[in-house]
Formats: sequence, structure tokens, C-alpha cells
Amino acid sequence: MPGPWPVLIRFIEFFSEMSFVMHLMWSLIHILTAIIISFVIGLILALLPFYLSITKTAIDRRLTPFLNSYSGIGWTLLAVLWFGINDFTVIFAITMVLVPFTIINIREGLVQLNTEILEMSKSFSRNNLKTLRLIILPSLYPYLFASIRISFGVSWKVALTAELFGGNKGLGYLLNLARQDFDTPLILVVILIIVIFVYSIERFVFKPLQNILAAHNATI
Amino acid sequence: MPLFRKPNKQNKTNSYEWIADNLLGWVLVIGAILGWWSISQSISDLVMPGPIAVGKTLIELFIDPLFVDDILISTIRVIGSVIISVLLGMMLALLPKNYPITEIIVQERIKPFLNSFPSVGWAILAVIWFGSSNFSVMFVQVAILTPFCLVNLTEGLKDLDQEIIEMGKSFSRNKYKIFFKITLPLLLPYIIAAIRIAYGVCWKIALVSELFGAEDGIGVIMLRAQTTANASMVFASCFAIVIIFMLGEKLIINPLAKLAEPK
Repeated sequence: MPGPWPVLIRFIEFFSEMSFVMHLMWSLIHILTAIIISFVIGLILALLPFYLSITKTAIDRRLTPFLNSYSGIGWTLLAVLWFGINDFTVIFAITMVLVPFTIINIREGLVQLNTEILEMSKSFSRNNLKTLRLIILPSLYPYLFASIRISFGVSWKVALTAELFGGNKGLGYLLNLARQDFDTPLILVVILIIVIFVYSIERFVFKPLQNILAAHNATI
Repeated sequence: MPLFRKPNKQNKTNSYEWIADNLLGWVLVIGAILGWWSISQSISDLVMPGPIAVGKTLIELFIDPLFVDDILISTIRVIGSVIISVLLGMMLALLPKNYPITEIIVQERIKPFLNSFPSVGWAILAVIWFGSSNFSVMFVQVAILTPFCLVNLTEGLKDLDQEIIEMGKSFSRNKYKIFFKITLPLLLPYIIAAIRIAYGVCWKIALVSELFGAEDGIGVIMLRAQTTANASMVFASCFAIVIIFMLGEKLIINPLAKLAEPK
């Protein structure tokens, strides 16, 4: 158990060394890619029962509970067997964990959708794409935002595990190296960076954004 | 999860649509298994075992006493961790209520810190601090679950009906009496929700916590299977967790929730 001082020194060293910063960048790339992919997949899967009501049971009662209870580490270990140790494995594992969160959130938003506004829009236009773009998506904004926010929080935790077992770059990989060398200060530095990063994004990006969004919604 | 959803009485959708809906749900399951089977035919069993091989391994997991021991140990750890973390979360949530001075410490320091602390970080640190033991596995699980319980119970405390508590105060000044007769029963739905969430999250992270800091449990079975490239065992242990998780929810959590429902 190293004291705060050696950890602080390692923390400063971390940012002066290029290869460490690259690991941080790679983790970010993994996470952002996975969030984007899972957001698109989740949105499509959540909208499917909305347009094709016979897929409701398939999505809500089969696919989502299954994905939701399948563990992230299981996806990682399987992905390693399937694709080997590379970036794709990491992104795949994170995406599979994030998809159910996105589906659940957007489905919730669709349930809460104001049916009267929808009906009104139908009396103006029969164009489904137009309704989606002008009515459905805007009223889903809070839920889309919430799903990205949750995805971001969850993805960090999953990314570390995925990189640890299935990656050759990223903070998780670094953590694994540090673990093998019993380099406890480095382990603490990596954890500290993640805690600081997640907290500040939550505090300085998502919270102000949410306030803007809430103000915007209040004006409608 | 009921196998067939009953038609909603208020919602007068025709029964034809309801049947098609349920049918498609099953078609998806069967289609997924068939698709899996056809893919596994052309790929080596080491990479992608078929449903039959995985099914056999799954049955083996639940019959072979060696594996049953591992499953039981994991289950006991999960239940223990859920109980401890609900109690701990409850204490942390109640602290600012009794001592307002601790509000910022708990809500703005401890909560975000625990919430953003990565689970693998706990797992690795626990092994370094406590070695491989039951204690280190449960420590990891409790550390991850506590913030979830704290968030839920704090919400519950905010929603408490202050008038009822005031009424309680006008009957008695005994703090313990008010807590056990009024606060706790009012909090019950939130406690159940916290248990439900903690239970779900705990099974997911049980694997992570056991991969590093345990000598037995499902996580160890899985890691061993992965290092020996036994893909069907990796699959089976994941499915085993899904099955145990659902059984636990049906047999323990749902009856508990029913008990706690207001009469």
C-alpha cells in the first residue's frame, strides 16, 4: 500500500510519458466507438417494436433480458476466442454490454411518448420519416441523452475489464502490466485517472448539458 | 418471466396480433439457436461450440458435484454481499439524515468516488491487499454494490412522508421506536428495489471479482476454461449465471417484493 506521495509522483510521471498518454487515448477511442455503435444499434432495436408491433415480445422479453443478464466478462472471453486479442474484441465486448442499457432507456422514452402529439402529427402528415425526425426523436431527447450518459459511466468499467483480458492497448492493458509487475502505485494512478475523468465529465459536461436540455424542454 | 404474455384486457388489440407477437418471440429464440447451430457446423468446436455441446456442458455444470460446489460458493458470496451492501448503503444514507453535517461528505464525496471507481480496480487492489480469499471477493462485491444501494435508499429517504413521521414524533420521542415502526416500513419498497438492483449487478460482477481473487467459484471455472480454450465451458458458465440469476429473482426477490407490498 503506497502512500499518497509516491502515487502523486507517478501521476505526474504518467502525463510526461508519451506511451502512457497513448494508452489513455486508446481507451477513449475504444469507449467512444463502442458508445456510438451501441447507440445506433440500440436505437434501431428500440424503434423496431414501435413500428412493427409483432416484434415487441421478441425485443422486450427475449433479447433485452438476455443481453442484460449476460455478463460483460463472458462477452470479453468469448470475443478473445473468436477474434483474438485486438481492438475489435474490446469494442465488441463494450458494445454488447451497452446495447441493453440503450434499448431499455429508449423503450422507456417511447412508452412515455405523448400520444396526442403523435396523433396531431399524423393529421398533418402521413410521412413516417417526417414524424420520426420532427416529433418522435425530439421528444426522445431526454431519454437519448440519459442513455448516452449511462453508457459513458458503464463503458469505463467494462472497458477496463475488456482491455485487461482482450486488448493490447489502453488503460486496462496498462493495469494488467502493472498487476504483473506488482506496481501498486501505477495501479492506483490508473484508477485515480479514471475516477477523475469520469467525475469531471459527469460534472462539467453532462450536468451543464442536462441543464441546457431541461431549459430547452421547459420552453416548449 | 412468463412464457406467454396474457392479452391486456384494457388494451383491445385483437388476439391475432397477440398470437403473432408471442409467436415471433419464440421464433426469435428458435431462430437464434438454429443460426448458432448452423454457424457452429462450419467452425471448429474450439472457437464456436454448437448448442448441443454447450447444453451438455451446462447440464454437467449442474450435476457434477465439483462444479456444483463452485456454483454454490458463488451464490452464497453473492447473497452475503447483497445483504452487507444493503445494510452499509442504508447506514450511509441514514447518516446525513441524523447528522446533517455529513450530507456533503456522503452525497458529494463518497458517492461519486465509489460510483466512478472501476470494478477491476477494486478486484486487483483486493488481491494485493488481502490475497486470494473469500474476504477479498466479497470486499470487491460490497465495494461495487454499496453506491447502488446508497443512491436508491437516498431517493427513498427523500420521498418519505414527513407528516407521518411528525405524527410518530407526537406519539413518542423514542428514536428507535420511530425508526422501526415508521421509517423502516415506509422505506421498505426502496429497500426491495435496492436489493433487486444489487442482486442483478452482483451476478454480473461476481465473475470479475472471482477472476482475480478467488480459488473457487464460477469465475474460476470460466477463467480455467478460457485458458484451456474450452469455449463450450465459457458459454455454459455464462448461461449458468443467467439461469441462476433468473431463478433467484423468481424464487427469492419476487416473493420478498410481494411480502413488502402494502396491504
